[in-house]
Amino acid sequence: MALDLQMPILVVDDYKTMIRIIRNLLKQLGFTDIDDAADGTEAYEKMKQRRYGLIISDWNMEPMTGYELLKQVRQDAALTKTPFIMVTAESKTENVIAAKKAGVNNYIVKPFNAQTLKGKIEAVFAD
Amino acid sequence: MSKIDIQQLIDFLEESREKSSEVTLTDVMGLAEVMTGSMGDIIEHVQPAVTLELAEIGAEIARMKAEISKLRVADMRDNHIPEAGRELDAIVSSTEEATHTIMEAAEAIMAADPDDTQAYQDTVNNQVMEIFQACAFQDITGQRISKVVNTLNTIDERVSNFVERLRLKQEIEDSPLEETEEERRKRELILHGPQQKGEGVSQDEIDAMLGDVQQDDIDKLFA
Repeated sequence: MALDLQMPILVVDDYKTMIRIIRNLLKQLGFTDIDDAADGTEAYEKMKQRRYGLIISDWNMEPMTGYELLKQVRQDAALTKTPFIMVTAESKTENVIAAKKAGVNNYIVKPFNAQTLKGKIEAVFAD
Repeated sequence: MSKIDIQQLIDFLEESREKSSEVTLTDVMGLAEVMTGSMGDIIEHVQPAVTLELAEIGAEIARMKAEISKLRVADMRDNHIPEAGRELDAIVSSTEEATHTIMEAAEAIMAADPDDTQAYQDTVNNQVMEIFQACAFQDITGQRISKVVNTLNTIDERVSNFVERLRLKQEIEDSPLEETEEERRKRELILHGPQQKGEGVSQDEIDAMLGDVQQDDIDKLFA
């Protein structure tokens, strides 16, 4: 299935440089509509106002972590099916398992490259 | 207890009260010294063995004071730790600055028009030079990190020597720490931070976990 390069993507990370890196990688992959948020709370507010085609979120943020955001999104009937990729330095087995249990669509461990990001986005939309 | 002894005790307590409302280890040891000194005469007549014991306690207190002084707590608090903090702040600042410069350069290259070959080549050359220059931060950062490591080694050495000299190692076990609010948050939200090389799971392992592993397998890991 061809990727919809016009779909709005929300990048959530408290580190501006990481948002910039992911933005540029997504641009390189051809995506044009990229929005960002600095933590889970801001992201959730934005998600209530706009329907995003994909969420790419860090885990370790304050006050609301990416893990909490994922659980909140999955509990919200209007957002529950929104594809969600966790991009994080949290690479312990228990993190991956917790994310899977909470309903994550894919999990990328930092540092990563454009190819990995592309592969995971394609995998999410192939499911 | 003589009048002089009582006066010494009063002086000591008044002096301590003026200094601060908090009782420190030094205060307690000082008080013990005054008390043992003041009671020395009485006890000497009552029981020589007790006198000897008290003399040993007094010597031990004096030794502890000397060891605490060697720890140079004020030097660590006022100089070493703040300096290490400043170095770490400078590291964050310089890495941020370098990252910004490198990203600016990369974005300028991405935005350049490749149809104008000469202009494109100039842009790429100039921006690559910017990237090379920005990478100099690594050298300075390395030096700053060395200073922080030296500080930690100094503190480690002094505390280790202190513990060893007081012969605390075998006698006293660490008391259990009470979980702070921040630690509770980290535990509940599974916040470990980045793992050392070879410690966390790799991307391939994550892919396998997300792909093939069934819920039952995951549940077994928690059983």
